[in-house]
Formats: sequence, structure tokens, C-alpha cells
Amino acid sequence: MNGWTLTATVALGAGVGATVWGVATGPLRRRVVAQNLSSALACPGLLLLAQGYGRPAYIDLALVLALLGPVGTLVFARLLADDLAEDPPHAWGVTFAVAGYGAVVVLVLCAVTGPGRAMVKLLVIGALLIGGNLVASRALSGGFARSRRG
Amino acid sequence: MTRRARLIVLALGGAGLAALLIAACFDLPRFGGPWHPYGDRAVHASLARRTANTIASVNFDQRAFDTVGEMSILFASVLGTVVLLRQTRDEKRALPQPEEVALPVRRYALVVLPVAFVAGLYVIAHGQLSPGGGFQGGVVAATALHLLYLGADYRALERIRPVGLYEICDALAACAYVVTGLAGVLAGTAFLANTLLPYGTFNTLSSGGIVPVLNAAIGMEVACAVVVLLARFLDQAVEIEEESGKP
Amino acid sequence: MDDPLIVVVLLLVAATATAAVAVRDPVRQALVLSVLGVALALLFTVAQAPDVGLSQLAVGSALTPLLVMLSVRKVRRRQGDGKGRAP
Repeated sequence: MNGWTLTATVALGAGVGATVWGVATGPLRRRVVAQNLSSALACPGLLLLAQGYGRPAYIDLALVLALLGPVGTLVFARLLADDLAEDPPHAWGVTFAVAGYGAVVVLVLCAVTGPGRAMVKLLVIGALLIGGNLVASRALSGGFARSRRG
Repeated sequence: MTRRARLIVLALGGAGLAALLIAACFDLPRFGGPWHPYGDRAVHASLARRTANTIASVNFDQRAFDTVGEMSILFASVLGTVVLLRQTRDEKRALPQPEEVALPVRRYALVVLPVAFVAGLYVIAHGQLSPGGGFQGGVVAATALHLLYLGADYRALERIRPVGLYEICDALAACAYVVTGLAGVLAGTAFLANTLLPYGTFNTLSSGGIVPVLNAAIGMEVACAVVVLLARFLDQAVEIEEESGKP
Repeated sequence: MDDPLIVVVLLLVAATATAAVAVRDPVRQALVLSVLGVALALLFTVAQAPDVGLSQLAVGSALTPLLVMLSVRKVRRRQGDGKGRAP
């Protein structure tokens, strides 16, 4: 066990553990935010694990999660638009904190990797992750007008 | 049988199963131990065939016949869905209303769609080198197309998605897998045995002999199957309505 | 060895899976199911099975929620129609 996997253990245990609690209890607006944050917290965890195990190929998992995690949240935002319009979620503080955590992890890993193709891939993943989760949060708090069965 | 008798039979069966499972657990090799008889042989065989990802070598070379079974399970289940979710006589199609989507969400969907699609193709193409392969990449590519439904509306998706074409491609890809296997029979060895293709240089895109070919076939099959599956679900959820007003 | 990491992720999976069973409403179940997909992908990764983890991520993060939510929408529409038509 090295520093990377230790950080991943703490971050995943506390972060994803909190989102599990958030998604299992409370009103719907809290649950959708927790679902969005679970992918935003797991993706940096996967990057840390890839670094900790010394296996750059594992970064593909983080790439797929950064692409499809926000898409999953968009599914809920789109198909629950009616329910969410009555009681929209407002959790920008937590969302930006998690986005900041993702940015810090990506930048630290970039500094360790050094310039090259691997660094470009990391930056792409970071951009997709942070952009995706901010857009997904925006979609949850009123991104879709009341859907008319469309 | 009374409720009580049934409960007793259930308890007896459950206790027996639990006892057998516990007995089996005591005889398992230790977690994370060094003894991997099958793993060592599989790694050795995949290195001999110059495939960097052992899992891909097992799926598409050493155990390629098992993948035929998995592929036909997916094919048959999608076929079943198509039959079950068809439009029946007492249902009509209603044109879906366009959706108002916030501008950042719409832009995000249009930017990420090509990126996710290319990422799906990347995962398929690098199946023999890094984690991934036809199934994973196919699902990613097919999901990417549906960003058009999430970020715009259903009619935009329908314009780029002629379902009939995807159904044909699904069948063609499944055939391609079997035909590649039959090539081995024609060459005088066995079904799905690689006799014709060179193994190439280790850790390059063209390495692995038969693996990239079968990977591509599975990727196309899975992508088309997922598109057809979601098309049926979307038709039912968005377009098809029960005929109202008539008895 | 990475035993603490495996234990943490196993606990995550156990907690999420229990929650997925305990939650009764299909919409909320779909939300828990999507988090369960992420937790399972983490478990497969720490067990050094990235291929399986990638399959889980591909299927569990967007495809399964979409299928479940489309089914829910269809059922709700049908119930809505029934209410609308009832005299």
C-alpha cells in the first residue's frame, strides 16, 4: 500500500460512502445530487488507483466514467424533470467542492506524469469530468423545461 | 402442503445449502494467494500468441467458442425485446413534442457525443492491448448516440438512427463472427482456430491474430444491439400510445 | 497488500446493495442502482479485474438507468391515461 492507494482509500471511503448515504435517504432532490456526486468522486479515485498500482491502462476506466457518469445524471434530469421542477435541488457548494477535488487530483497526477500523451489524456479526463458534472448539476436544477411527454 | 410444511422444507434445504457452502469455503485457496493454475497457463498462452491483454486472448482466442454463446444470448434477448415491444393493433404513434433544453446542457450533449463515440471505438480497437474490448466499447458508442435524445429531442435521434439499418448490421456482425470461425474449419483445423492470420508484433494494434477481428465483430454487434434495444424502449416510452376513445 | 482498500470498497458495495433492496420506489431504486454500479466497478478495479470493471461502468452508469426510467415513464403514462379517461 502506497500514498496513492491510501489517499484513494480515504477519499473513496468518505466521499462515496457519503453519497451512498445521500442516495439511500432523504428527499428526491438530495438523492439525484448524491447520484451525480458519486461518479464525480469515484472518477478521481480511479485515477489515484491507476497511479498507485502503476498501471496506466487503468486510466481507461476513469475516462469511461468521466464520459458516462454525467450522461447517467442527464437521464435522471430528463426523465424526472416534472418531479424535480416542483422541488429543484440547490447544492452548488458541494458540487463545486467536489469539482475542486477532481481538479486537484488531476493536476497533481499531471505534475507527477510530466508532459506527454499521458498528461494530455489526464487533462481530457479532467475537463470531461468537471465540465460534465457541472452541466449535469445545471440540468438537475431546471435544465429541462417541464417536459411535455417529449 | 400447508404453509408450515413448506417452511420446514425451505428451512431444511436452506440449512443444507448453507452447510455445503461453508464446507466449500474452508477448502478454498487463500484470498490473494500465489497459486493460479489456470491463470498461469492462460497468461503463457496469450504471450505466445502476442496478445498483451490476457482477458482479450481468453475471450476471443483461447475460449472464442464461449463468446459465440454469449453473443447469441444478447442477440436472442434483443430479438425477444423487439417482438415483445412491437406496436400492436390497438396502439397508435403520437408525434413527440420537442423539448426545451437549457443551452449549456444542449451544448454539452453536442460536444460530448462525438468524444464519447470515438472513446467507444478506441476501447474496441485497443481491446487486445488494454482493458476493454468489443462489449465495453460497443455499449459506450451506442450510449453516446442517445445523448441526442437527452440533449435535444427524440426526433433528432430518430433522424440519425434508422433502426432497420442497425438491425441488419446487428445480424451481419453476428454472422461475421461465425464466418470468421468457419474460416478455421475450411483451413482444415477447428472452428474459431487461428491458422490464417499472423500474430504481429507484441503490444501493437495489429497484434493478436484473430483477436482484433473478432473484437471488431463483437463491438459492432453489441453497439447495434444496444441501439435497437433502446429504440424499442424509447418508442414505447415516448411515441406509442394506447388508442383512446375506442372500445 | 491493499487489504484496507478492498475492505472499504467491499463495505461500500454491501451498503449500497442493501440500500438498493431496502428502497421500494422504482425511481429511487434506479438512483441507488446507478451508485451501486459505480461501487461495483471500484470493487472490480481493486480486485485487479479492470475488464469487468469497464463492462460494469459501461452498462451500469447510463444504460441501466435509461432502461429503468423509460419503463417507469411508460407505466406512469399509462396510469395517467387511465385516470384521465375514468369518468
